[in-house]
Amino acid sequence: MEQEHPALHYVQIDEKRCTGCVLCMKACPVKAIRVRDRKVAQIVGGCIDCGECIRVCPQGAIKAITTGSDPSKLSRYTIISASPVLYAQFGEEVMPNEVLLALRKRFKYIYDQAYIHELYNVAVELHIKENRGKEGAVRPLISPICPVVNRLIGYRFPSLLKHIIPIVTPREIAARELKRRLYCDRVFDTTEFGVYHITPCSAKMVSINDPMFLKASYLDGALGINEVYELIAKNLRDLEEDIILHRSSGVGIGWGVSGGEIAGLEDGSFLAVSGLSETIRYLEKIEMGLFEDIEYFEFRACLEGCIGGPLTVADRYQAKRTVAKFVRMFGQEKRLKYAQAKKAYQDGWFFSESKKIPIAAKHHKLSLSDALARQEKIEEVLRRLPGKECGLCGSPDCRTFSEDVADGLVGEDRCILLNLEKKR
Amino acid sequence: MPHLTKNYPIKARDYLKAGEVSIQVQGLLKSIGFTPELIRRVSLCAYEAEMNVVMHGGDGELTLDVDTDRVSLEFRDGGPGIEDIGLALQEGYSTASEEAREMGFGAGMGLPNIQKNSDSLEILSEKGKGTDVKIGFIA
Repeated sequence: MEQEHPALHYVQIDEKRCTGCVLCMKACPVKAIRVRDRKVAQIVGGCIDCGECIRVCPQGAIKAITTGSDPSKLSRYTIISASPVLYAQFGEEVMPNEVLLALRKRFKYIYDQAYIHELYNVAVELHIKENRGKEGAVRPLISPICPVVNRLIGYRFPSLLKHIIPIVTPREIAARELKRRLYCDRVFDTTEFGVYHITPCSAKMVSINDPMFLKASYLDGALGINEVYELIAKNLRDLEEDIILHRSSGVGIGWGVSGGEIAGLEDGSFLAVSGLSETIRYLEKIEMGLFEDIEYFEFRACLEGCIGGPLTVADRYQAKRTVAKFVRMFGQEKRLKYAQAKKAYQDGWFFSESKKIPIAAKHHKLSLSDALARQEKIEEVLRRLPGKECGLCGSPDCRTFSEDVADGLVGEDRCILLNLEKKR
Repeated sequence: MPHLTKNYPIKARDYLKAGEVSIQVQGLLKSIGFTPELIRRVSLCAYEAEMNVVMHGGDGELTLDVDTDRVSLEFRDGGPGIEDIGLALQEGYSTASEEAREMGFGAGMGLPNIQKNSDSLEILSEKGKGTDVKIGFIA
């Protein structure tokens, strides 16, 4: 019953480089990869663009598509909004402002998105307060920041979609405000050059093309940190300008590491979880109705948080150390006027006109009776299989293989070990 | 009519794997496509009952029975049994070990929670001979 997923994937496998080993198929947390007839890996199911396959492929055959174009071809007037994860890529000695100045040698308009994170923290705090004690309030609430987690919830935990708070993400708020401001100041028509987000995340293009809670993204594209790394490293060697572009405190910068988002929240019970397998474990338990004592979950699909994103350059643990240093250096006090942020919240600045929630997968709809019969067949096949979880059949594990057999996608004879047993 | 029966072994005192069986039950019911509300009720009860076997029971087993209109769970363990079932059904009553409490379990909400979230509950237990808990749900 598995269907070819119609949406475009931003994680793609290069068939010429793929040798047909099973590593990506085994690593895929949603079991969306198969290695079938053509002996190369194929994405068949509901890919959530997490990038786990990118990390494990020894051939470098899997890539995340960001802008789809060469960053060197972007106009000098492209507006750049940078994730603070970028600041942690050049070691402890290179300051955030220097990174932004290095970017400014290439692009005229550079924005420190970390500042919006601090405003966003205030919005979430106010939202949690509103939720408290409300009749029929959803608990726990879930952070909408990680696009992979949003897609994971859409595919595998749709009953939890209502837990995701409907606040527009900082990257989108930053892009919206940049467009408004530059347009109002009549600097130029922003439709011409666009706002690009520098990101550690392989799923950013998905969230730009199909954003949560927005009709359309304010961003025009994403650049991987790995795509701009060399440019910045080169420009860092001779910085001429001396202006201040970095505005955030340690709170906004701290967001790069797991726990950074909730560190900016005051007064409440919050929990940060990172890594896909742990995230899935927690979502399963939240779906059972556990963890109602927690008010807000910060989930990040990448281990240790966004500094572990597939498009980063620096090692995640060294980047973590760099972030920790910046958090100390720039302090734990938000650099904003609370009353102003609160008014912005009340005026709806953090919300969108749209309530659109992308549900990535159209699940097959069988009648309960047919679905139960299918499950019976799956269990029956599974009982016959040797349970070695080898993946030689081209499905990631014995259970998924049983599902593929029950759905008529492959024959049971594809199990090599079962065939060997029969010959004996 | 299609009908599914499946057994899951549960190991006593194995806190590392505790909860695993109920997560498997949850996954199975999800792939069949029951309503989220039913799945939440069944998996929550499964979780509480599984934790009871892990905390108090000897090694045990869950039998899951699924029809299109009902789901039932039967937990059997060879543990010490429940001395006073009426008392065990009271909120906050707990005989959990220090070890279990240190891990955040044993708040005495297990059986009351099951009673609240199921459509039928039957407990058979004899001191020294183990416990049999049957939990039914109408789909």
